[in-house]
Amino acid sequence: MTLALFLLALGTFFLRFLPWRAERSLKAGQAGPALVVALFLVSAFSPPPSSEWLRAALALLGTFLGARLTGNLGVSVFLGAGLYGLLGFL
Amino acid sequence: MKQGLEAAWPIALGYFPVAVAFGALGAQAGLGYLWIQFTSLLVFAGASQFALVGLMAQGVPPLLAATLGLLLNLRHAFYGPALRPYLKGGPLEAFLLTDEVFALALRALPGLSPEKRRGFFLGLGLGAYLSWNLGTALGALGAKGLLAWPRLGEALSFALPALFLLLALPHLRNPVALLAGGIALAFHMLGQTAWGLFLAGGIGLFGERRRP
Repeated sequence: MTLALFLLALGTFFLRFLPWRAERSLKAGQAGPALVVALFLVSAFSPPPSSEWLRAALALLGTFLGARLTGNLGVSVFLGAGLYGLLGFL
Repeated sequence: MKQGLEAAWPIALGYFPVAVAFGALGAQAGLGYLWIQFTSLLVFAGASQFALVGLMAQGVPPLLAATLGLLLNLRHAFYGPALRPYLKGGPLEAFLLTDEVFALALRALPGLSPEKRRGFFLGLGLGAYLSWNLGTALGALGAKGLLAWPRLGEALSFALPALFLLLALPHLRNPVALLAGGIALAFHMLGQTAWGLFLAGGIGLFGERRRP
């Protein structure tokens, strides 16, 4: 069991470290923006059947409006999360 | 570093309830506190930690569980090269490089002077790491009830999608990013999230940078 933990820890570390430090590394191309958009979509929308999409969409709208109004990332995230929690009562 | 720590709080907010859940799951599976905590201290990659503990609790051999956990983390190989134009990664930077730290760093680093970037990144990663490990400790030690207040755990977990939305906004007109995101979402809907994210990274890798 402990061996499995060390294997996962070491493997994860090298997956992060080696491509970053490789002498002749892959050019990243558009990998950054592609992964950020992908991470957003998979974190916001759960697989069907999901009754939570409307709630998530409204909370995301709140986050977006918060960002437009305040220009502050942290405050906007806090607003979106709070709205998501409140919508859960409906 | 202080600036990075301050910027980390949306990540810390989102990590905390997930880490509490991880700690509680490990305790429920009958794993010792130290083992659970060391998983968060040494691996620091949520999905693969859940996979490791969940699979072992189902009787899957530990080495196979670790290998499956590693497959979930394959996408992390894309993060360093994407950050390389802004930051040369050392062992510490690599260790702290999670999905959320990567996404926030990708947005923040280009706007910082080169001499401030490393400190910012380390502060960002450290804030996320502390939250993840504090949440794990509380969950493993039986304090999952602290998220029992109606909807608090759910609300805090939604901090991560909210954060990703704001980080993704500048890229939503980028056709390569949209294609990659659409494919990742399709795989996610089929229950293959990790492979979808890996493919998204691969698509982005070969996508041409748009000319201004």
